[in-house]
Amino acid sequence: MRKGFALLLAAVMTLTVACNSAPKNNASGSGSADDKKPIKIGVTIPQTGGDVDAGRLMKNGVELAVDTVNKAGGVLGRQIQLVIQDDQSTNPGSVAALQKILEDKDVVAVVSTVRSTQIAAQIPTINELKVPVAIGGTNFGLTQGQSPWVFRFRPHDGMSAKAMVKFVVEDLKKSKIALVHSTDAFGNGGRDMVVNALKDYNNTLIADQGFNTGEKDFTGVISALKQSGADVIISYIAASTDLGILAKQMKQQGLSLAWVGSPSITGQDALRLAGDALYGTYGVADFNKEANAKAKAFAEAYKAKYNQDPDFYSSWPYDAITVLTELMKTTPDLKPETLQKALLATKGLEGVEGTYTFDKNGDGLDSYHILQNENNAFKLVKTIHANAGK
Amino acid sequence: MNLAIFGQNLLAGVAIGGVYAMVALGIVLIYKATNVVNFAQGEFSMLGAFGLVTLTQAMHINYYVAIPLVLVIMAAFGLLFELGVYFPLRNRTFLPVIIATIGASIMFQNGALAVFGAAPQKVAPMVQGTATGGFTAGGVFFDYHYLVILAVTAVLMGFQYFFFEHTLLGKKMQATSQDKDMARLLGIPVASMIAITFIYSSLLGGLSGMLVAPIFFVTHRMGGTLGMKAFAASIIGGFGDVRGAIIGALSLGIIEALGAAFISPVYKDAYGFLIVILFLLVRPQGIFGEKVAEKA
Repeated sequence: MRKGFALLLAAVMTLTVACNSAPKNNASGSGSADDKKPIKIGVTIPQTGGDVDAGRLMKNGVELAVDTVNKAGGVLGRQIQLVIQDDQSTNPGSVAALQKILEDKDVVAVVSTVRSTQIAAQIPTINELKVPVAIGGTNFGLTQGQSPWVFRFRPHDGMSAKAMVKFVVEDLKKSKIALVHSTDAFGNGGRDMVVNALKDYNNTLIADQGFNTGEKDFTGVISALKQSGADVIISYIAASTDLGILAKQMKQQGLSLAWVGSPSITGQDALRLAGDALYGTYGVADFNKEANAKAKAFAEAYKAKYNQDPDFYSSWPYDAITVLTELMKTTPDLKPETLQKALLATKGLEGVEGTYTFDKNGDGLDSYHILQNENNAFKLVKTIHANAGK
Repeated sequence: MNLAIFGQNLLAGVAIGGVYAMVALGIVLIYKATNVVNFAQGEFSMLGAFGLVTLTQAMHINYYVAIPLVLVIMAAFGLLFELGVYFPLRNRTFLPVIIATIGASIMFQNGALAVFGAAPQKVAPMVQGTATGGFTAGGVFFDYHYLVILAVTAVLMGFQYFFFEHTLLGKKMQATSQDKDMARLLGIPVASMIAITFIYSSLLGGLSGMLVAPIFFVTHRMGGTLGMKAFAASIIGGFGDVRGAIIGALSLGIIEALGAAFISPVYKDAYGFLIVILFLLVRPQGIFGEKVAEKA
């Protein structure tokens, strides 16, 4: 039996090594730009593992953008070609996918994923291979001096916290603020950002309730909220199941407070699971199809092609391809350095998520929409630019 | 902390404990018959829940017809599980079998992910036609679901106790558990006894999955936490004892709920596992552990 196990282990290891080194023959090594050859853009997204749904939506986004660009004649007379690699929903998988893509020297830029932890894992490789990478992960730290090659096509978590606090204090005029958050990187990061944002208003949290992702009973959290005397809740919860159970139990146990939630509260899953328990709540979202003309046109084209409404999973990769190809028109040499410079110089370029102006860290957006749930449909309340004013 | 809030948290603890108890009953049952811990027991719940989702939502079968149908499917599944996972390894030590159940659990999770997708599913409540799904008495909200779970747990507890201690089949199964060779010599069909155990265990798992589906939502990951908590409950109560699994599961639920309310919800999972560690150090056989000690 031991022998059999060792044999199996050896087989698995061989396979792993083989898979990781397989596509070496793809590398042409020439790097010369043939006028007729398509321009290649790499994409590392989950196609297996826990994040397959997100991966599918991101793929829809990039493919719709590439179709649009190619139908309009491509870039510099050349077509755009996507090179998609599966990141397996894991950190090692993300790094392997990126390395595979960049063995092909014709790839001029890469679109990565929305999962912050996987982008963080990719950053050392990005710095080594020196190619502009578009990301959708919203963890604040990803763009803060870690890499000059990472460009974010969504607003970061610090901005969502600022937007939520600004809306709660200035528009809802509430001051007794309770925070409910999951105790993972996302929720704890959000907590710190909310505490920071509250300092601008000389306010502090009246209650801070963390819970473990996957919680099934929120009675303890709800009891604490009831006793705190809070008049508004801000939440940082990533999993729609957690959000759904919390909302339902709050309603059952008779706790009805104004509630402003992180983006998942405006997601389709939360709507489906929580139903009327989320009516009247507010949420922040970086994409809203009513926000501008481009977003509207994108939503229509998306619905026509995929027969569903787009959300942020598809909108930011769409923008990433659109912005990158737009910039390529002005940087005919297609060198990473020129593209990087062009990205940093981008000012006021309209996309479907918002208007892109990249700062020196590579953050392109600073606005969040505040949406309100009206009987399972979302009303755009206002758009808050986190860097404006305060 | 006023009385209503204390009552609300206590109720939540007892109800969640009831859920753990149902899964723990399945674990204890298989342990009693085979001396092996089935780490895929949580996945039985997940599959039962997905069965209910598929029958009611994709095939539009009436909710109350779908429940017994899922139980029939789960019974067949329990037999297949026994034939596929336990039977080929029955003459090995317990370790390969345990590893096989862990492997099966991973396979079921990923299988469910591949077939049903990652998006969580919603299931209609068992007691329908009410606005909030419960009633409020004395400031405490009573979720009908929690009451159904408690009632079903109580019935199963009684049934299982009666079955093992007072029926011939139950005694045959106990004999099989204690010494397979001796049981065989006495003319007990050992293979059938074990197959029946897996079938019943799978039924229990499926039933618990369907009961929690409307309150927990259905995801491919739902079995993982349930299985772990039920395993912890079995350690507290003592493996191989039906009463132990119930008492262990209810205490675990109550400790978690009150700990979350009175101390801090962040460490909710930690309270339960802290108790498990204490038990492993001080009383590794669990509360009702004498029987296991006699066997050894």
